Amino acid sequence: MKTVIIGANGAGKSTMFYHFNGILKPKEGTVYYDGKPLEYTRDALSDLRNKVSIVVQNPDEQIFSSTVEEDVAFGPLNMSIERDEVERRIVTSLEKVGMLEYRERPTVKLSYGQRKRVALAGALACEPEVLILDEPTAGLDPQMSQEVMELVNELCLAGTTVIISTHDVDLAYTWAEEIHVLRKGKLIYSGSPEPFFANTEEVALSGLVKPHTFSINSTFESLRGRDEAPYPRTNSQLLAKLSTPDAKIGVIRMIPFDKEISEIPQVCGNIGIYGSRTRRAVRESKTRVDYYFNAIEGCCLDAMSGLDSVLVYDIELESLVRDTISVLGKFGKVPEMI
Amino acid sequence: MSEETQMDTLAYSSRMLYWAPLGKLLFCVLVLIANLVTESILVPFITLAIGLSMMAYSTNFKIPFFIAIALLEALAILIIGAGLISISGESGNVLWESHFLWINIYMTDDSFNKAWLVLFRGVAGMAVMMGFATSTPIPHLSQALRQVHLPVEIVELIVLIYRYGFLLLERMEIMYHAAACRMGFNGFLRSIKTTASIGVGIFISSTNMADKAQTALSCRNYKGYFPLYRAPAKTGLKWILFSALVCAAMIIFGLETEGIVNMYELFKGVLF
Amino acid sequence: MDGLIETKDLVYFYDGTKTPSLDSINIKITPGKKTVILGANGAGKSTLFYHFNAIAKPHSGVVLFEGEPLKYRKKALLGLRSKVAVVLQNPDDQVFESTVEDDIAYGPTNLDLPQDEVKRRVEDALFQTGLTEFRKKNTLQLSYGQRKRLALAGDLSMKPEVLIMDEPTAGLDPQMALDLMELAEQLHFNGVNIVLSTHDVDLAYAWADEIHVLRKGKLIYSGPSEGFYSDPVQVHMTGVMPPSMFTVNKNLAHMKEIPEAPYPRTETQLISKMVEVKKGSLHIIPLSEDIVSKVTDSTDISVGVFGTASRGLLVENRMKVDYLFNGFESCISDCMNGRESILVCDTDCVDLIKNKIVELKRFGTDIEYDVRS
Repeated sequence: MKTVIIGANGAGKSTMFYHFNGILKPKEGTVYYDGKPLEYTRDALSDLRNKVSIVVQNPDEQIFSSTVEEDVAFGPLNMSIERDEVERRIVTSLEKVGMLEYRERPTVKLSYGQRKRVALAGALACEPEVLILDEPTAGLDPQMSQEVMELVNELCLAGTTVIISTHDVDLAYTWAEEIHVLRKGKLIYSGSPEPFFANTEEVALSGLVKPHTFSINSTFESLRGRDEAPYPRTNSQLLAKLSTPDAKIGVIRMIPFDKEISEIPQVCGNIGIYGSRTRRAVRESKTRVDYYFNAIEGCCLDAMSGLDSVLVYDIELESLVRDTISVLGKFGKVPEMI
Repeated sequence: MSEETQMDTLAYSSRMLYWAPLGKLLFCVLVLIANLVTESILVPFITLAIGLSMMAYSTNFKIPFFIAIALLEALAILIIGAGLISISGESGNVLWESHFLWINIYMTDDSFNKAWLVLFRGVAGMAVMMGFATSTPIPHLSQALRQVHLPVEIVELIVLIYRYGFLLLERMEIMYHAAACRMGFNGFLRSIKTTASIGVGIFISSTNMADKAQTALSCRNYKGYFPLYRAPAKTGLKWILFSALVCAAMIIFGLETEGIVNMYELFKGVLF
Repeated sequence: MDGLIETKDLVYFYDGTKTPSLDSINIKITPGKKTVILGANGAGKSTLFYHFNAIAKPHSGVVLFEGEPLKYRKKALLGLRSKVAVVLQNPDDQVFESTVEDDIAYGPTNLDLPQDEVKRRVEDALFQTGLTEFRKKNTLQLSYGQRKRLALAGDLSMKPEVLIMDEPTAGLDPQMALDLMELAEQLHFNGVNIVLSTHDVDLAYAWADEIHVLRKGKLIYSGPSEGFYSDPVQVHMTGVMPPSMFTVNKNLAHMKEIPEAPYPRTETQLISKMVEVKKGSLHIIPLSEDIVSKVTDSTDISVGVFGTASRGLLVENRMKVDYLFNGFESCISDCMNGRESILVCDTDCVDLIKNKIVELKRFGTDIEYDVRS
């Protein structure tokens, strides 16, 4: 389940998730992990923190070592893992965040975005069951935010439970399956995002605003005299909903990427790429690509405007890509995938 | 960028980066000792040659401008110091005397010679230390210190100060700019006040940072020490032998040449 | 026409680096236009604006303020820096005193202004930013959003002609962000030239009349936003994404087979352009002493707020307000749904709101409104 904890500054988001890994101990009440109440002994806590990793907003607070690889190795070495395994984890986690070529660099020489990715790699190297990300996209430029969110989706697909804590309503709305809203230290809502955002007063009292897609949809539909549901969460879903039944829908040509970049057909239409492996391969081969980031959305938007497009993606993400596109069926026509 | 960051950049691009840091340290310390043990004025020249060649090799024969400046600065201070030594003679032939307020000033041949020796030793020592600094970043140094079993607490303090030092420097620069934007340096008293405010700001943010770092450390299962993934190259026997050899050779050379060159004799015709 | 701030062939290197951080920049900030400097992290945005108030000195090229080349002598710098002020991303970097009042007074005092002038300016700045009730408070006790306003107030007290805001909404929660941008709009309307420096494309698109795009120390585009975003290759290379509003409009226009222009920047503009709206009416009520009675008279109509002073007063009087933030957009949205709506605004904002309504006409919606003063 993709979970978001949302609330204004000072609503208690971080205080809450520091309870999840036992940094803070509740004055009253109990925290459960996997159905068992937390124990606050040294060993139990250490065990828990290997399973529940937190990536804080400001990477400078959690990078301690002087080189990238030392920092990524910090967690695993604390877990007394064997050297070969540590090496494997350094490589895989740095590869995932696209920082492998920086492994021997001093951390102080990295840019903010790079430091943020190293902090994430440090958490990934612990191979946690639950990953808590505090404002994962704050301070990142738009492309880098997209890249981080795509990585997060890959992790979810691989079975990691990801919890994002944020005040960014647009991010929360497009990504979350379930939201928990905090206001002044109280949990005021848990459930799917739509019912919460439909309640203007609650949203305002929580220090938040309605997500753009949500409010555009509600105004459009009330003016057209139609039902607000189903609620589109992305622009392509909104478009699918607004398109007429006889509108021409474009075709998405699907090309799974396995080992080598096969000839991308130079057909007319935009080319999008999805997945970290594909992105790396494309960067090396310098192929022409139109949508480096947010490509599924880009191709869907094209399809809604009646244009054909090509989508190249990591083969292991096949189901994720197809599912994402198929969601359009709830709102209108699904573009044909060939 | 401050000098600290520049030095760091230099060290990380050094050709001697992956040499055993402890070996480098041992070598430099022994050379410095040899530099001081004998009274020969020729030994500092050997030390200087070693230091300069280390620096040259480490920086790929391009000694950066700022290091040259730093050396010149040090030189200026040393010259002043040597000048003071030369006029505070207590024994030997008086070459020159004067009275300043209630102090009697004497320059003797002994003090004259001593001043030169101190100057040469100082310059040579600086060169060797610079040679070490341009090839060894602080983290490597701390690893070396760990190998000689310096208390873990001290080593970790060095690492953390190094790590957070950069962050605080970054912030200080931003705050300095912000204060300049609001005319905080308009006048002497105001500059002092502003600098104090920046100091307070940095202090507050450093305590905040320490607080948050503590939490983040716990999140990553910190067990009281920083484990090392890539230990630096071990200091082999050859390092020890080589360093000892150089040191011994310098001392022997020094003992042999003690008193061969007398600066006073050299300058006798010219100055006195 | 002369630019307010101009640079000619500006080149700047950081010490010890070989690639320039800024490479032959020729930028012209037009007076009266809402300007954005856009670029990814590390593109050189801050280095550039530090040149505007002479914190950084170019290695070659010149910087002109109001047509005059900058002088880097001490006297000249004082004048310049009070005219070109910078609000940094992190307010904690620019708060130097321990109480709110003292901190706002910091700039004017440093300028050696007479006591009563300093006092007057502090009052103004407190009022403009809605911090009057916090004037005696310790700066450490303020919330993040309030500290951000304090940083802004500290600059306003110098009566700047140009205010550069670096990532103004970063770290603010959504309501605080809207609040701050509304304040910026108000200030801009009252004659302060505001330049935003950001990588947030949605913010930039909603705000800017003119954008200047930086990439790796080079200025690659100057002009209206649409010109830049229409070129996907440039957008990609710059490290940003097209704004959501731009994309939706483009695709909807394509789908409906209507032209992309005029380009909507706000939700109400988009809706006006894309669907038939109903006719409602907007009652604009400028802030006055008897505002409470004026608003409570009409109970079943939605009430929105625009402007810092109005927001402060309505909250103080515990009035029921439906749209405390984003008031203009929300009230217009109600009107377009055929309802009536009240917008309470600061006295200096009436014309600003009228302008915004006129702007909506370009997208096909003619909102009926009256001003009840």
